[in-house]
Amino acid sequence: MLLPLVAAATLLLAPALAVFSDEAWTVDYHFALLGAPKEETSFFHRPNPSSKASLIYTLSEEHALGAVNPRDGSVVWRQLLSPGRDAHNASFLRAGEGEDVVISGIGSEVAAWSAADGKLVWNLNTEGPLEDVEIVELSDGKETAGAKDAMTLSSGSHPTVQRIDGASGAVKWQYRIDGSDAPYQLSASSTQVFAILLHKTILGYVKLRVVALDPVTGRKTDEYTLSSENELATAENIISVGANSASPIIAWTDAAHTTLKVNVVGTKTISSFNIERHDDSAVERVRLHAPYHVNSLSHFLVHYETATSHWAEVYDIDLKNSKVDKAYSLPRVAGKGAFSTSTSDANVYFTRVTRDELSTVSSASHGVLGRWSLSSFGVASGIGEQVEPLHAVSEVSVKGDAVSAIRTTVLLSTGDWVLLRDGKGVWNRPEMLAGTVAVTFAIPANAAALVQQLEVEAHSNPVAAYIHRVRRHIADLQKLPSLLVSMPQRIVKGFLGTSADDLTGSDTFGFRQIIACATRSGRLVALDAGHPDRTLRNMEVADLKPGQSWRPSLSSSKDGVIQLSSMAGAGVDYNATDGQQLAESLPILPDEPDLATSNTVQYTMRGNSLEATYEYNPSWTFTPMHGERILGLVPRPVNDPVASIGKVLGDRRVLYKYLDSNVALLVTAHDESSKASFYVLNTASGAVIYSNVHAGVDLTAPISSIMSENWFAYSFTNEASDDASKGHQLVIGELFESLIPDDRGAMGAKSNYSSMQTDTEPFTLTQTYQIPEAISKLAVTRTRQGITSRQLLAVLPGSNAIVGIPYGIVDPRRPTNRDPTKDEQAEGLMRYTPVLEFDPKWYLNHQREVVGIKDVVTSPALIESTSLVFAYGLDIFGTRLSPSFSFDILGKDFNKFQMLATVAALAVATFVVAPLVMRKQVDQRWRFL
Amino acid sequence: MAQTPAPPPPQWLVDLDSTPSNSKPKQSYPDPLGFQVISKQQKSSNSKAVTQPRKQPTADEMDTLKLKKAWELALAPAKQLPMNAIGMYMTGNSLQIFSIMMVFMLFKAPIQAILNIQSTFQRLETDTNRQQMLGVKAAFVGCNLLALALGIWKVNGMGLLPTTRSDWLAWEMTREPVERAYFVPS
Repeated sequence: MLLPLVAAATLLLAPALAVFSDEAWTVDYHFALLGAPKEETSFFHRPNPSSKASLIYTLSEEHALGAVNPRDGSVVWRQLLSPGRDAHNASFLRAGEGEDVVISGIGSEVAAWSAADGKLVWNLNTEGPLEDVEIVELSDGKETAGAKDAMTLSSGSHPTVQRIDGASGAVKWQYRIDGSDAPYQLSASSTQVFAILLHKTILGYVKLRVVALDPVTGRKTDEYTLSSENELATAENIISVGANSASPIIAWTDAAHTTLKVNVVGTKTISSFNIERHDDSAVERVRLHAPYHVNSLSHFLVHYETATSHWAEVYDIDLKNSKVDKAYSLPRVAGKGAFSTSTSDANVYFTRVTRDELSTVSSASHGVLGRWSLSSFGVASGIGEQVEPLHAVSEVSVKGDAVSAIRTTVLLSTGDWVLLRDGKGVWNRPEMLAGTVAVTFAIPANAAALVQQLEVEAHSNPVAAYIHRVRRHIADLQKLPSLLVSMPQRIVKGFLGTSADDLTGSDTFGFRQIIACATRSGRLVALDAGHPDRTLRNMEVADLKPGQSWRPSLSSSKDGVIQLSSMAGAGVDYNATDGQQLAESLPILPDEPDLATSNTVQYTMRGNSLEATYEYNPSWTFTPMHGERILGLVPRPVNDPVASIGKVLGDRRVLYKYLDSNVALLVTAHDESSKASFYVLNTASGAVIYSNVHAGVDLTAPISSIMSENWFAYSFTNEASDDASKGHQLVIGELFESLIPDDRGAMGAKSNYSSMQTDTEPFTLTQTYQIPEAISKLAVTRTRQGITSRQLLAVLPGSNAIVGIPYGIVDPRRPTNRDPTKDEQAEGLMRYTPVLEFDPKWYLNHQREVVGIKDVVTSPALIESTSLVFAYGLDIFGTRLSPSFSFDILGKDFNKFQMLATVAALAVATFVVAPLVMRKQVDQRWRFL
Repeated sequence: MAQTPAPPPPQWLVDLDSTPSNSKPKQSYPDPLGFQVISKQQKSSNSKAVTQPRKQPTADEMDTLKLKKAWELALAPAKQLPMNAIGMYMTGNSLQIFSIMMVFMLFKAPIQAILNIQSTFQRLETDTNRQQMLGVKAAFVGCNLLALALGIWKVNGMGLLPTTRSDWLAWEMTREPVERAYFVPS
């Protein structure tokens, strides 16, 4: 018997969950980010020595190596490098002049990448962690033509200097440095290679030990220790060690930043300069900018920074007697500044970026070659916050005595990376978002106000509601003038556009929610989900010292308010629309509706066990078995609306879902036996309502889990064993009140219950699917009322993708070993197949690569069919999903203009034909009378 | 405008109005195929046959006749039932415009018939057969109810009757737990 359900079931059925090609790139957005670039690993370089076009290369703080096109800021290629277990977070990126490879060093791995397309040329692991990587610019006739050799300095138990062939990656020679001194840096002049080591004296001071090596043979030619006396307290006071310049230098200051000492490496003379104090505030930071080429002039710039201002001095080195002299100084300017060094043949240019000006000087004289005023950097910032340049990289071309073109990329204090061409902003990349650690969706305050008004009307008596509504509309009249102004535009848009891309006016569908991101650098960034390319707000909310970290958590339990808290404790509320701080230090409570009416159990993870308190008394504890450690806990979301409490079967009977808001999925791992256990807990009573153990699990691979509605899902990787090969599995379990249709279980139709007094055990159906790839994170779509079917969102780190698996595909009720009956077919159930291939249509990212995704958050839109998705990590990816199609909104294919034209044509036709018909009718009357 | 006397009718009109004379000369050309001369005598004889007075039936005979006619009317819906049933079976249980319209008609006809029962039998009802007429009406209603039952069977087949648990699922309440548990990140 065919049922009307067929229609509904086929509607909800899966096949149709593709991203249509006309929706890709319009409803979704993707920022291919690199992370904040580091000053010492960012530079302009020509990937093809024969062409003039250059790219910007950077190895960022997120360990992403990439090339950015300076014309539009798009990423040409990128590689995510793994820093290994190296704690001190040093990374190096070097490119030889006229080379078509860039050489990176991170952790203990040196790798050469093709500069044009980012393909790996060679890589090599050193014994210890890398301390420095340099390129040997000098020619000794032995190197392979076309590729310059690389030099590495690694620490560890045996500090080693290695010379690596630039073409093949083979080690040409290596030199082991004896002694217990910590290797610091490598520096090469045109004839020698210097390894600089830090020697700790008995008094706790640091002395610089220099080992000079012959670049051709790798033999030690000289070794000496610089008499830095008792000035160098820590390595942090060493400002710079010049790398590949005509005369490499070491510069350091004393702890109070009063004197600057410079030594040309290879000599023992130390030049000393007093650091002038321009105002009361003390010099906080001294930086040194020197050209990176062997054949450029040996000038360098020292950049002094105080809390309120900065200035710089330019020095030159007399190569004959290794004397350092001060050439000129650049004036003091308020605020922070950034200096960059660029070379053109032998000439060296210094470019200075301040808050409001960009200027270029030659190293030889203090005459300004070019000056551009900057009105603003064109980036969003906090209220009253001054955007400061942090560091810059420039490419300068000089004709005669003036700069003809200059391109400068500046990292700003807001975390934006901008490119200025001749002082005008060309693009900006929101690199602060690469360090996003917490995200929430928030409804804008004005939309939230309307929602509140509507709620007031819904909950009052009809007369009062009517009066309220009339008053609201009278108040709305104040907006009439602005509405009239925008009317023509809206009408035109309404005629030509579709309802789906109505972005000019108000947010009728709830697609333009505010996405608040807390970044690792202590900033709160607000994006508009409808216009993600425009950062609404970017404010500093936590003043973090270098090396300090915070664990922010964001929520928006009240509409129009973003709640930010760090760790558990006090939090701060922000207005979602304008970012105003609403109240300071409010106590953070979990999203609980009303403490007075409901009894709350609070549970928390302490060490390796869960502990719960009920009305401030200990209630239950869950301690995993001996040797097991808790990997993760996923409670069912607090706000998880479910439209139907049962599943309607094909014969119209009902299978009741086990819907308990107090369930959580706990994952534990037993390392010795490589077993993973999964427990579904009733978090009110502490009872285990379902558990399963999987043996032979690869615990190094990610184990992801999710709990929603009445089902849970987890995935893990199987280790290869005698009877099974290595594979990835996705397990879905669904909890029911009873497996007998039309039976509501032991409790019947009771309206409320206490899980502490009644013992309810759900019946669980599970099904396992073999999936082609590991899943690092699972999420689920959320809609306003939970009517729409769900999609399981899985992050695939292997293919840098996010897939949306329709729930119907992984339904554990799929019949095994038999074909589905007609009733099951009506429900949309297919025969169970153990292997689940990811349909290419499920890939939300389309053909883009979303790299380094750590988490996916979802939020319901105002219309039921749609769920907003936002994925973050390194990349930012967001989209809108309609798992059951957009049944409540007209799609893009709906042509408003065509419809209106048809109506108009019909109206015209009616008007034209009406008199004709009238005359004919009259004529006919006359004829028969 | 001054009244002018009507002009005499033209000759062709006079010819057209006047019937051709029956006394046709024998030698004249034959009539066209299918032409029949309607003679005034024939006409008059025909009308005479119609208007010939029939023997008036007696009141008893009249009642029997009327009752017979009434039974015929009452059982007419039952005769249509098999045809309707086949039609319903053929349209299938899917929700389509055609089957929906068929079902609608199936419901509309009997209900309308039952509502109009008085006017249907008014002509046939006399003071004397009123008693017997009740039985006839009951039969009529019964037959129409049978048609309605067919409609209900069909609607049930289409799954439109709220007879199963799933139809009342929306009115079943979710159970609210007394305790709520919240995870507090440590």
